[in-house]
Formats: sequence, structure tokens, C-alpha cells
Amino acid sequence: MKIALVGNPNSGKTTVFNMLTGRNETVGNRAGVTVEKKCALIKKLYSGEQEITAVDLPGAYSMSAYTAEEHITGNYIKEEAPDVIVNIVDAANLSRSLFFTTQLLELGIPMVIALNKTDINKKKGTRINCEELSRLLCCPVVETVSTRAEGLTALVAATVRQLGTEQPTPFPALAQLPQGKAADKKRFSQVKKLVAQVETRKVFTKDRNAQDRVDMILTHPAAGIPIFAAVMFLVFQVSQSWLGPVLADGYTFENGFTLPGLVTLIDAFKEQVSFLLEQAEANPFLTALLTEGIIGGVSAVVGFLPLVMVLYFLLSLLEDCGYMARATVVLDPLFKKVGLSGKAVIPFIVGTGCAVPGIMAARTIPNQNERNAAVMLTPFMPCGAKLPVIALFAGAFFKDATWVGTLMYFAGIILILLCALLVNRITGSDPKGSYFIIELPEYKLPDGKRAFRDMCSRGGEYILKAGTVILLCNAAIFLMQSFDLSLQPVAEGMADTSILAHIASPVAALLVPILGVAAWQMAAATVTGFIAKENVVGTLAVCYGISNLIDTEGLEMLEGAGTQVAAVFGITRVAALAFLMFNLFSPPCFAAIGAMNAELKDKRWLFGGIALQLAVAYTLSFLVYQVGTLITTGSVGAGFSGGLIAVLVIAAVVTGLCLRRKKL
Amino acid sequence: MDLMTIQEGREHIIDRVQTGDEALENFLFTLGCYAGEPITVIARRWGSCTVAIKDGRYNMDTRLAKAITVVEM
Repeated sequence: MKIALVGNPNSGKTTVFNMLTGRNETVGNRAGVTVEKKCALIKKLYSGEQEITAVDLPGAYSMSAYTAEEHITGNYIKEEAPDVIVNIVDAANLSRSLFFTTQLLELGIPMVIALNKTDINKKKGTRINCEELSRLLCCPVVETVSTRAEGLTALVAATVRQLGTEQPTPFPALAQLPQGKAADKKRFSQVKKLVAQVETRKVFTKDRNAQDRVDMILTHPAAGIPIFAAVMFLVFQVSQSWLGPVLADGYTFENGFTLPGLVTLIDAFKEQVSFLLEQAEANPFLTALLTEGIIGGVSAVVGFLPLVMVLYFLLSLLEDCGYMARATVVLDPLFKKVGLSGKAVIPFIVGTGCAVPGIMAARTIPNQNERNAAVMLTPFMPCGAKLPVIALFAGAFFKDATWVGTLMYFAGIILILLCALLVNRITGSDPKGSYFIIELPEYKLPDGKRAFRDMCSRGGEYILKAGTVILLCNAAIFLMQSFDLSLQPVAEGMADTSILAHIASPVAALLVPILGVAAWQMAAATVTGFIAKENVVGTLAVCYGISNLIDTEGLEMLEGAGTQVAAVFGITRVAALAFLMFNLFSPPCFAAIGAMNAELKDKRWLFGGIALQLAVAYTLSFLVYQVGTLITTGSVGAGFSGGLIAVLVIAAVVTGLCLRRKKL
Repeated sequence: MDLMTIQEGREHIIDRVQTGDEALENFLFTLGCYAGEPITVIARRWGSCTVAIKDGRYNMDTRLAKAITVVEM
């Protein structure tokens, strides 16, 4: 048996789906979180012996597909014919939701209505006569509060009872009218009558309430942007400077009791493995492969897990409380000036967790050019996988200065704004040509338990990636570094003859203008970074034989390790900053490029996007290194002329593209 | 009168929605934003305004707010 969860955006379909199936799909207190359909089996707790598949569909306001998500939903219901439709209705907005309901009731598919968010109605003193509603709509109505899993057993039971029954059409006169605006207006007036019959309200939506007063502050033209900046700063500060590092390094209480952090535990594990292998007199090469290549590289990446998990937790809370929709309102006027939709702020914020869902979130932007621009620019926001890279460089070169991380996020935002202008110039789209409308959901207290689950599941994915893709990459890097071209082991001090050195050298030559030296290790890290950004950390750890990148015991040691790492890398601080920026803003990992490919459809946009990212990253890091070196040493750094030529070529191509558009 | 000029907090009736963007107007229709329906401006600020349509709250930019003309109830 297959049931489809259908309803308006932000009515709680995915929350119902997660509760019924035990899955952990992303939810958020705003319209348009779910952009693709998802299927899973309902838990035995609800379905008993029967096997029921639930299908979660993107939100829709009507059967006529006006948005990309509505298209998916409409097509699914018409073509896949689910056995029963579960229509999730926002009980606080019957007058809008039931429009879609009346359309669904005409499809002839048995239906059950889940009257969701009834807790909000209770709070406001709104009463809905469910029995009457059920009688008028000729289908069962079950009251639910999906966030607390209330009413779900009754909902599934009602759904099972509906299986195989015939769904009567409640308003035959409406169904017979030819489809169109006139019929839909009648439908709305029918809904109005119906709501008047079943609903009694104490609080009216048209009256200003406490939430509106909060909105006045959060979306205030002058205060809104600083508030937004403060919220985002807090998210990054807590994850990267306050809570994250404590979880990674451990915490020593005043009485001397030390709570071990993740890195401490990993180090102990690694030492134990080395010790055991030594005792067993294992092959020294295999021992090195296992401890330095595999455990070393993977643990370097896993060590940053606490920082990433805290970030996920906070982003989840942010999604849940209803602030995201307000952030789009604040940024819309600013974004419009550079030709982006205010809705693009959602892909950018989601992108700070991971670029892939960020890129997919851009689907809710109706204007195609604005949507494409958002897809191309989302990867500029440093994502969770780039966080270890930032933390590594901040720790190694800048004594863990928090400004490094903050600077990277702001650099990302500035790049997005500048590149949006450039993209508009090149494509010639009119930034003032689009309208903006977004639903403002009711604020709610974020659900800590759900955020915790979300954090764990995304943390699990991070570990999985570290244990698979990153493990393999590290092992490959270690092997390529250990053998030369004639497959003989590389002799001590002859690392430059290894296979890896040969492969990475051409890239290293290209990186001289931003690094000041030709370092094949750095080049290799950049290349493996395209597979997954955490690889930058893993590869550097393997190549330079250092895995303890976050330190364990207090500040002095931390500084000690930092300087040590910096000395091993053999580049200046300015070069480190430039290299970090190059890795952050160059084309993202394969997964994100795949997502860009899926969303952009037109290959010109895809290749344009990748070229833009590469050009921007190279130009920016070149400028940072050369200008920085000029300021700190009084003369430009190595590779200046070569880099300058490359940057001038980029500038010429960009100017050419802009002029071509002008002529057209 | 359009949404940018009417008094905040007072219910009005939509007279016309004229954006020149058919897809958008169809979308607005499904929200219940079309001629003959009530609409209330909750608050206005630089660049946008918040409105109540049916039992939902929406924020729209000035351009869209100007494209929706209303009459007194």
C-alpha cells in the first residue's frame, strides 16, 4: 500500500513523514524546504502488520503547477496513482489550504485529511468542528500535531480504512465546471462558506499581533542586516571558536579533572594501533600505510567533526524557528541591487552546511536567471567540509584567530554579491525585472531534540565520507607518495621523485603565484579537494606526516603545534591565507558540481559557473598573496609576472563577454 | 490606491492585480490574492510590506505591492 503526503508548503508534511517512517529528512519552518519526493516504509508501530510506503511530496497550493515543486507533486498524484492521499492541512490556515483539498477530492483517490498544527489553534482559541468538516468533505479528518507525533496512530488507521473505498466528490457542481479561473473562484467561495460553517476564531489574521512586532524589528531596514550578520556570526563563532573546539580538544575543569575531546581519543587510538602493530612486528610499510596514510588522514578529518556537528545543530535550530524567511525579507532589497532574489539567501545559508542541499534549495526562486545565478554562487559560501580547512589554516598560521573564519564567510558573501553583478552583466538580465513574495511562517520555539537528531545524522554522513571517499583518497595519496615512477619505494629525503610529486608538479607550477613556492603537496591537496573538500586536510596530513591538527592540551601546546605545522608547510602566512582562499572559492567538490549540473540544465551555465569559480578563486588568491607580500616584505612575491598574465587574460575574457552582451 | 498608499491594519478589497507576469498572477491566485478578495497591509517598511491574505502572512516587495490596487471595503 502506498500513501502520498500532500498539502500546502510548510503544513508539516515532512515532519509527519519523518515521524511515521523514522527517517530524518530536512524540515524547516518555511515554505519550500522539500523540493523532491521521498519514499520510505512506515514504522511497524503505526502500520502494524501491513506494509505501507509513505511518499513525501513538495508543497503545493493547487493542482495547477505554477512552481517547479508543484509540478512534481501534481505529476506524481496523476501518474503514480497512490492508494490513499493523506492531505496535510494547516489547521491555522483553513481558508487557503482547503482550496487544494477540494481539488484533490475530485481525483477519485481515497483521501484522509490530517488537520495539522492543531496546537497553534488551541493557543489562539480557534475551534474547528472536525466532524462537520469530515461530513462536508466526505472524507475522514484526523487532528494531528506532527511535531509531537500526536494523532498519527489514528491517522494511519484512518488511512488503512480508506484503502479500496470510493472517494465521493463533495461538490459535484464544482467538478463539472470547465477548468479555469472562473471555476477556481467558485471553488474559493465554496471554501469560504465551508470555513464559516466549521471554524470559530477569537484571533483574526488581519489584526496585528506580537509576532508582527517581532517582525518589525527583525526585518527593519536599518536593524535587520546587522541582526542577520550577528545571528550568522554567532552561529560560526559558537561552532568554530566556543563549543566546537571544546568538544574536539576536551575540557579541563578547575579541579584538574579533564574531559577528553574527540581528538584526544583518536590520538590514543592511533598510538594503540601503532603499538600493537609494532608488538606484532608487522611489515613497517603496511604499518605506515595504516597509521600514517589511513588512520592519520582520516583522523585529521574526523578530528574536526565536533566543529561541523555544532554548526549543523545551530543551522537546524535556525531553520526551525522561522527566522530564515525573515532573513530573505531583509536581504531582498540588497540582493536585488546585484540582480539576485532575496530568496537566494536560503541557498546561501543552507550552503554553509553543505552546498548540495543549498544548490537544490535554489529551486524555490521563480525567475530562471536569478535561480541560475544563485546555483552558481552558492558554493562560494564556505560549507561544513571547508570548515576543517579553515580551522587547520587558522590554527597553523594564525594562532587560531577567529577572524580568519569570519573573514572567509564575509569574503564569500562579498564574492557572491560582486559575482552576481558580473553574471548579470554577462547574461544581460534585468535585475529589476522580478517580483518578490514569501510566506512568513509563525515563529516557533526550535525543537532541540530534532536538531540533535539532525546533527547526528549529518555527523554520521560526515564520518561515512571520512571512512570511504577520504580514506581511499588518503590511501592512494600515501601509496603514490611512497613509490617513484619505476614503482620503487621512495628513498628518505627523495620525496620529490614520488609518483605524486610528478603528477602534482604541473599544478604546483600554476600555484606558484599564490603560494610563492612550488609545493606539490599543496597542489595534490587542491586536486583531491575537488573530490571532497575535507581531503585538503587529509592530503596535507598524509603528505607532511602530521595528523594532530587540532591540539589537545591547552593554549601553549596549541601554539606549539601551530608553529610546528606552519614550519612544516614552508609557506608564509600571507601565502597560507591566499592558498586557503583558493581552496575555499575554487570549484567545489564533485558532489556539488553534480548538483549544479542537475539544477542548471544548460551546459553553458554549468561551464560558465565552474570557470567563474576558478577565475575568481585564482584572481583573489593571487591578489591576496602578491599585495600581502608587497605590504609585508616590500616587494612582490614569486611568480608575479606569470600570475599577472593569467589574471590579465581572465580580465580580458570577462570584459570581452560583458562587451559582447552590450553589442547584442 | 495600491498597497503602498493605503492605511495599515485596515482591510481592503483587491481591485486589480496587474504585474504583467501571468505565472506570478496565477500563483497569487492560489494564495487567494485576486480581485474581489480582502487584503490587509500589516506593516510597511523600506523596500517591502507585510500583508495578510486569507489566514496567511506574506511579505512582498514594493514593486509587487504597487501592482496590487485596492478599494475601500
